[in-house]
Amino acid sequence: MKKSLLAALAAATALGCLPVAAEDLITSDRVGPSDAPKKMVFRLTGDGPSSTDPTWAAGYSKLYTQFINNHPGWQLELQMMTGDISQEQARMLEQAKAGHAPDCAAVDSFVLPLFKQAGVLKSLSPYFKKEEIDQLFPFVREGVTGKDGQIYAWWWSTDLRVLYRNKEIVPNEPVTWADTKAAGLKSVEAGMEGILFNGSRYEGTAFDWLGNFWGQGGKLVDDAGKPIFADAANRDKFVKAVNYYRDLVESGAAPKRVTTIGNYDDLNAAAVAGTTALFVGGNWQLRQLQNSMDPEEFAKWTFSMLPGITADQRSTGTGGWTVAAFSSDPEKVEMCAALAREIYMGPANALQEQLPTRADLYDKYDVFKSEANQTFAKALKVGQARPGVLIYPEISNQIQIMMGKVLTGAAATDAAVDDAYKASLDAYARL
Amino acid sequence: MSARAMSSRLPFVGAAGRHNRVPSPYPWLMPVILVMGLFYLYPVIDVFRYAFTDLTLLGGEGHYTLSTFANVLTRPELQQIVWVTFIFTAGSVIGQQLLGLAMALVVVRSENRHLFGTTILRTTALIAWVVPGIAGGIIWKMLFNEAPFGGLNSLLRFAGMAPVQWLSDPDVVMWSVVLSNIWRGTAFSMVVMYAALKAIDPSLYEAAEVDGANGRQRLFFVTLPQLRPAILVNMILITIQTLNTFDAIISLTGGGPGRATEVLSLYTFNVVFRNYDLAAGSVLSILMLIISLGLALVYASFLPKEEKA
Repeated sequence: MKKSLLAALAAATALGCLPVAAEDLITSDRVGPSDAPKKMVFRLTGDGPSSTDPTWAAGYSKLYTQFINNHPGWQLELQMMTGDISQEQARMLEQAKAGHAPDCAAVDSFVLPLFKQAGVLKSLSPYFKKEEIDQLFPFVREGVTGKDGQIYAWWWSTDLRVLYRNKEIVPNEPVTWADTKAAGLKSVEAGMEGILFNGSRYEGTAFDWLGNFWGQGGKLVDDAGKPIFADAANRDKFVKAVNYYRDLVESGAAPKRVTTIGNYDDLNAAAVAGTTALFVGGNWQLRQLQNSMDPEEFAKWTFSMLPGITADQRSTGTGGWTVAAFSSDPEKVEMCAALAREIYMGPANALQEQLPTRADLYDKYDVFKSEANQTFAKALKVGQARPGVLIYPEISNQIQIMMGKVLTGAAATDAAVDDAYKASLDAYARL
Repeated sequence: MSARAMSSRLPFVGAAGRHNRVPSPYPWLMPVILVMGLFYLYPVIDVFRYAFTDLTLLGGEGHYTLSTFANVLTRPELQQIVWVTFIFTAGSVIGQQLLGLAMALVVVRSENRHLFGTTILRTTALIAWVVPGIAGGIIWKMLFNEAPFGGLNSLLRFAGMAPVQWLSDPDVVMWSVVLSNIWRGTAFSMVVMYAALKAIDPSLYEAAEVDGANGRQRLFFVTLPQLRPAILVNMILITIQTLNTFDAIISLTGGGPGRATEVLSLYTFNVVFRNYDLAAGSVLSILMLIISLGLALVYASFLPKEEKA
């Protein structure tokens, strides 16, 4: 009796301890045992165990647990960024310059040039094979490589902007701006809000729209990094692209409230609520829509390349996230590279269906053989990354201000474009 | 214990004190001076130093120059930003002061009559005050959302009224932002006014009642004159607080559409953290400091002066 009681107690204790041990390994701000002798601070976005998407959060928890089990003696301290990416990245740059950056962090690809210029990143070249680096898409390889030929970050995912539509209301793919306007108006007739897109003071406003300018062959900056988007060769294309959005709002094909949208979640919310049938969004939103909608409702949705002024003048913005090391401890830099390799270079792409930056990974993971991802990959061919120049954030800021003035009717397009151009040139002169 | 006995027991007495028996204040003031100097004065001095450079967040040594002042103060957008700041500050300060006073009067009156719900009213107002600015901005963004499922517009539609373009109409958006800031800041004014109302000598009201003053006359001839110092001090505090507000705006409108709600503090933030221009941000910070000090001095000039003995 005594023996069986002891056995029962032991079993209960063991069973009770198991979940505790499992829970202890990963918390909201730590991965690995709290008493591990070595610690690396990693600052990350929602692409981690604290993702707001339960499926992704569970997937990342598994990946992080495997990772920490492969690296005994280590713990990761996780620092979450807020949704205001521009602010987060600027703050991190300042912290890095003051020597207070995290050991390792997610750096948005469009601000990577600023970090490289500031000289705060540590080389990751020793930890990646030449063949792996050679597999990166050219614009990605160029983006992470410094003037000394070393790579200073691992760019693990890329994305692009597409036009989502509800096939029940907009059955045919809009391929031109005129098609888009007609589709928007048709959706309004069907009781919808019209086409939605980011239009407020938000990086996405500039980036999602830039494909309309790039599709015509427009250039934001010259080879020296000086703004040229409204010089003699580009001004007409820029104004046409701005007027395209202006016409969407003034004709009623898009609601005026687009000037208040500054978050891709707002677009998802409208699609899920059934108040819109068309929106300009990122490729990652396809999975989010799938996770948020009933299967029958999701089946009504599809996407296509962003329309152009003509069917053969189309482009889209491509971005993505990198992992970079700031620590001056070589062991932590190696750990940071290992994190990029073991979690983000492939497994995270597959988990979130975030498009990989290496051609070979499209064949390695079955998820990228799906029709949707093949279409994304096709659109990627006309994709264009934001210029890796110091002035880009200010150009983007000026485009956001300009878009607000134009879409609300507060300023004429030409005047707003001229103001944005002048302000960008002034800022460039001060860099 | 006599004053002489007390002073003889004080541990630190300056040279002059040995003759005048006045203890030196410096030993007691030093900790405060050190803390203030280290945590308040030093950063301010650094801001002034940066303003005379061309420093950016992007690296580089930076050089001392006066050109940053000239560049920042002649920017074409600055005039509009100062005007937007004026509207935002004036609207918020007037709204918070009036509502805060009204709520304090209601609370005091209710307490005097032992009415039910006084504590609930006071607590409800205080909840808005303790909500962080970013969270407040997000709450109001949901309420002002112009989508068919937006909070306030859904109510308007339910009542058979036309929806309002709360955030997308450049003529309306500033008032939406002011409204959200009044909601957030009224509790502070209410607390200050409540404390000041409680400090008014009840005999003044008794005398007014004996003189036959009605409620309105008591408010204008007793309450408001007695509250004057508190109102002015409160206005100094909430003006400075409002001038520095940017968290609620950044999460509500981001300063847009265009620059319709970009106040000076948000512009300064954008210049430093989006344009990486540390020197220009420092010049704008000095401008904000001058405006705050100027307004504080104007208010302070209306404060009742102590009569000389």
